[in-house]
Amino acid sequence: MSIHKNCYFLLILVLNIYALVSGDGINVSASDSADTLTQSSPYSPAAAVVLVNSPVFRKPDVDSIFSLNLLSSFPEDEEISVYCSDLLHIFGQRYVTYVNCSVNSSRPVKVCQNCYSSYGSLTEIYLKISSEVVPGNESCRDSILRNDRLMLVYLLYNNLEDIWGKSDCANCVTKGFHSLTNDTLYFMSSVNQTLTCFEKYKEGNHTELCKSCKNTYRGLNELYSRMETNKTMCIDIEDVMNVTRKLWSKEYNCSFPREETVPVIAVSSFMLFLPIIFYLSSFLHSEQKKRKLIHPKRARSYNTLMNIQDKLS
Amino acid sequence: MANITKKVSWSSRADESGVTAEGTPLLNGSEQPRPSRQLSRDGIFQVGRLSTVDLEEEMTSEEESLRGRPKEIPHNEKLLSLKFESLDYDNIENQLFLEEERRMSYMGFRCLEISRWVVCGLIGFLTGLIACFIDIAVEELAGMKYRVVKENIDNFTEVGGLSISLILWAVLNSAIVMMGAILVAFFEPIAAGSGIPQIKCYLNGVKIPRVVRLKTLVVKVCGVICSVVGGLAVGKEGPMIHSGAVVAAGVSQGRSTSLKRDFKIFEYFRRDTEKRDFVSAGAAAGVSAAFGAPVGGVLFSLEEGASFWNQMLTWRIFFASMISTFTLNFFLSFYHNKPGDLSNPGLINFGRFESDSGAYNLYEIPLFIAMGAFGGLLGALFNKLNYWLTIFRIRYVHRPCLQVMEAMLVAAVTAAVSFTMIYFSNDCQPLGSENKEKYPLQLFCADGEYNSMATIFFNTPEISVRSLFHTQAGTYDPLTLSLFTITYFFLACWTYGLAVSAGVFIPALLIGAAWGRLFGILLASITPNGSIWADPGKYALIGAAAQLGGVVRMTLSLTVIMMEATGNVTYGLPIMLVLMTAKIVGDYFVEGLYDIHIKLQSVPFLHWDAPATSHWLTAREVMSAPVTCLNRIEKVGTIVDVLSNTSTNHNGFPVVMQGADSDEPSKLCGLILRSQLIVLLKHKVFVELARSRLTQRKLQLKDFRDAYPRFPPIQSIHVSQDERECMMDLTEFMNATPYTVPLETSLPRVFKLFRALGLRHLVVADDVNRVVGLVTRKDLARYHLGSHGLEELQLAQT
Repeated sequence: MSIHKNCYFLLILVLNIYALVSGDGINVSASDSADTLTQSSPYSPAAAVVLVNSPVFRKPDVDSIFSLNLLSSFPEDEEISVYCSDLLHIFGQRYVTYVNCSVNSSRPVKVCQNCYSSYGSLTEIYLKISSEVVPGNESCRDSILRNDRLMLVYLLYNNLEDIWGKSDCANCVTKGFHSLTNDTLYFMSSVNQTLTCFEKYKEGNHTELCKSCKNTYRGLNELYSRMETNKTMCIDIEDVMNVTRKLWSKEYNCSFPREETVPVIAVSSFMLFLPIIFYLSSFLHSEQKKRKLIHPKRARSYNTLMNIQDKLS
Repeated sequence: MANITKKVSWSSRADESGVTAEGTPLLNGSEQPRPSRQLSRDGIFQVGRLSTVDLEEEMTSEEESLRGRPKEIPHNEKLLSLKFESLDYDNIENQLFLEEERRMSYMGFRCLEISRWVVCGLIGFLTGLIACFIDIAVEELAGMKYRVVKENIDNFTEVGGLSISLILWAVLNSAIVMMGAILVAFFEPIAAGSGIPQIKCYLNGVKIPRVVRLKTLVVKVCGVICSVVGGLAVGKEGPMIHSGAVVAAGVSQGRSTSLKRDFKIFEYFRRDTEKRDFVSAGAAAGVSAAFGAPVGGVLFSLEEGASFWNQMLTWRIFFASMISTFTLNFFLSFYHNKPGDLSNPGLINFGRFESDSGAYNLYEIPLFIAMGAFGGLLGALFNKLNYWLTIFRIRYVHRPCLQVMEAMLVAAVTAAVSFTMIYFSNDCQPLGSENKEKYPLQLFCADGEYNSMATIFFNTPEISVRSLFHTQAGTYDPLTLSLFTITYFFLACWTYGLAVSAGVFIPALLIGAAWGRLFGILLASITPNGSIWADPGKYALIGAAAQLGGVVRMTLSLTVIMMEATGNVTYGLPIMLVLMTAKIVGDYFVEGLYDIHIKLQSVPFLHWDAPATSHWLTAREVMSAPVTCLNRIEKVGTIVDVLSNTSTNHNGFPVVMQGADSDEPSKLCGLILRSQLIVLLKHKVFVELARSRLTQRKLQLKDFRDAYPRFPPIQSIHVSQDERECMMDLTEFMNATPYTVPLETSLPRVFKLFRALGLRHLVVADDVNRVVGLVTRKDLARYHLGSHGLEELQLAQT
């Protein structure tokens, strides 16, 4: 244990020194901005993205190992092997690619459509890192993933995995991250169809739009609810559907109007009226239930009666 | 005679009837010594004595009709009904009993103890099964109904004609409720309501006719399914308690009189003492199945009923409760496709409050207390309105067909009001993956959104409660919540007391949850950083507790039930404070709902203590006199005459013994019950017959048990003219050591003795052990503390 603690201490020391040495204006500002972002939105993936994007990460890929070599004198086996550092390097690159892609397609949400391949390659490299069986009898799992308290690589990957899981992208992408599923493609094409229809009638009176695009929109809605029950949805589909629905109901005001106020009020007030009649008629016509009083047998004598009155007065 | 006390207690007012009654006591008082002297003088000529008594009664009744006093009055809360009798909690220690006890081996007693446990286990198991059945049936049927209506509404939103959906909804509701109401009104009226008042009375020691029969159970279960599916503002939790009690009463007897099946087991338990203990276990099992609160169930039995409590009984009751909860869990786990999962208890599951926002701070305690006070106020209003409504119902809506119609109307109006509220609501919320609406109604909301008013109205009340507790802040508009609170308050108040079997727990929780959540939302909006600590779900829970406490006024058990149902012990303190304040505030105005209904049913209910300021009343004023006594060796004809006298429907008769000297007054030597006499007559246990037929089997305790609990009426027992002349020896069968009190015992003392021992008859004897009077439950229950001091309830035929 003590050795480990020492190692941590040394590592921190080294990193500090490194930060002092390589710290320049850009670096500081970038990490500052990263910090503020982290504070403002602790759970948003964007923060993580900025962290990754910042030059602290990108620049020292090569240098850090070098400087580590310079500044510390770990025994051979404590260091990570070249193979593993290569893997780590690739992991970093792919990570950045995926995160970049995700950020760029975060609004409107297209994370599944645009980034599935980069996520696939990220998973692939992570699997390589974390697998036990490796060529040349060296496992990077322990040296990279589990060597310290922070377990940064694991944490980073886990974050992305969570995001991927939350977005349900797996439903829209075929196994092995080769392409989007047919359902998704079909859905996207029908969304496009609807949107084109919207485009076409956008000018002028919206009632016409409501009338003309009703069928395509309805078809889209049905398709969506079918996919919802089949559980073949991902965030992209949900989002694009949301936008379309918003366009339809809020922008073009094609929701159903509240038109039958009068009949509804009439029927319900009729029903409210019924109990009044009922209670009135039962009050007037129904025979009131009377109770027959029974006089119990009681014993009494003069003096008790007097006693009671005395006591009370 | 009743007038005297009335006169005394109302002496401040110039009461007209009291003035006219002045003469009667004097008359009676002067006449009083005559019958008793006669009794002592010619004890042999019992018939003659009886006829004098009869004569006297006729005289007084004539007198009254002469004075023009109304003999019939409209029903009110100040009556005691004659139809209710006491349970015999006290053991009848006659010679047969002693003999049986002597015969019983040590093993026999061990077996009894074990079979008590077995019965409790069975009670828990069956209660859990019934709860499971109700839950699944309600969920499936309500699901079907809501799907049909939703489909219809969705269709008609598009093409127009929503008023048709409204009618469809109303008709469906009324039709379903009609089935339940017909069952209740025509087949078993005692199954109406939640059943908690009835069980409370039963545990208090009042024998409510037909309350623990199989037929009642069947009607109750079907009725509650109908009323919940029918969309009334009711819950299925209260009836569970009644169902548990019926199950207990049935299982412990080892037979069903309705089905005419006798399994020849548990015969020892066929008496009121044992049965009542099991019924308290059944009630506990019912609570426990309803709320997933085993400890709460035990405490409910303790608080609401059992005056007779011991450690072993408590432990057994707890066992029954536990078994019931986990039976329910076990079977529901199969229904929810998670077989073996035992962690989702209760018909109503409040869900877990475990998030950080559910934490509370010291500065919130005053807020909680204020909410408790508000809940008490609202509860008092609820009870008062319901009280007036119930009186009206008893007086005017008493015919079964009218009751069915009323229930149907309420169902239709509930649907109409709900629909109108949903129709005019502008509160639209996005459909989310977290708040899974079972039947989201879109109506005029934008696509992808649903009407948030429909979440609370277009759902079974249980689901609405849960939704109010747990959906995140912002799900409900303040306007939606306030409208909902107001309408649901009146709907629930209107619904309770209909001829349908349904409980008031859930509606009260729902009203409270709605205004509690509203309070939370307002708090969050008016206080700085309120949105951080003022979690609407937490305030919904507190509001629900306050409202429920304000309506039913339960204390300890309700606290524990709420705590267990939320699965969070840290809420114990706020819930307790809230319930305390709600009770204090509410009691200032009006009693709890169950107590009101007990009173309105004219039940002779004995509270924990005699009314205050009643020490000046003594047994002399309280008791009934003169007493119909029987001789130790009595003529059969006399007994038959006494029993068949309809004007004096007595159930217990002091047995007196004539001294050796005929001048010596006859002294009390025992007490015998009507049920025992009937069994004796049925088996023709006559002295002459025993002499002639030596082979005749001796009557055993078993014969009394076989006749229990439905002893045949005296009319069904045929006694020939010859047999009337025979004699009957009661020595063996009477309770040779009845409790007696002297004439000067004060009312609280009599009361305490009566309540603590669970007596049915208490003989009042004078200094030479002559019987001068008899105190029964009705004699004690008629005194109560009203606004004008001590008041006296009148006996009435209902």
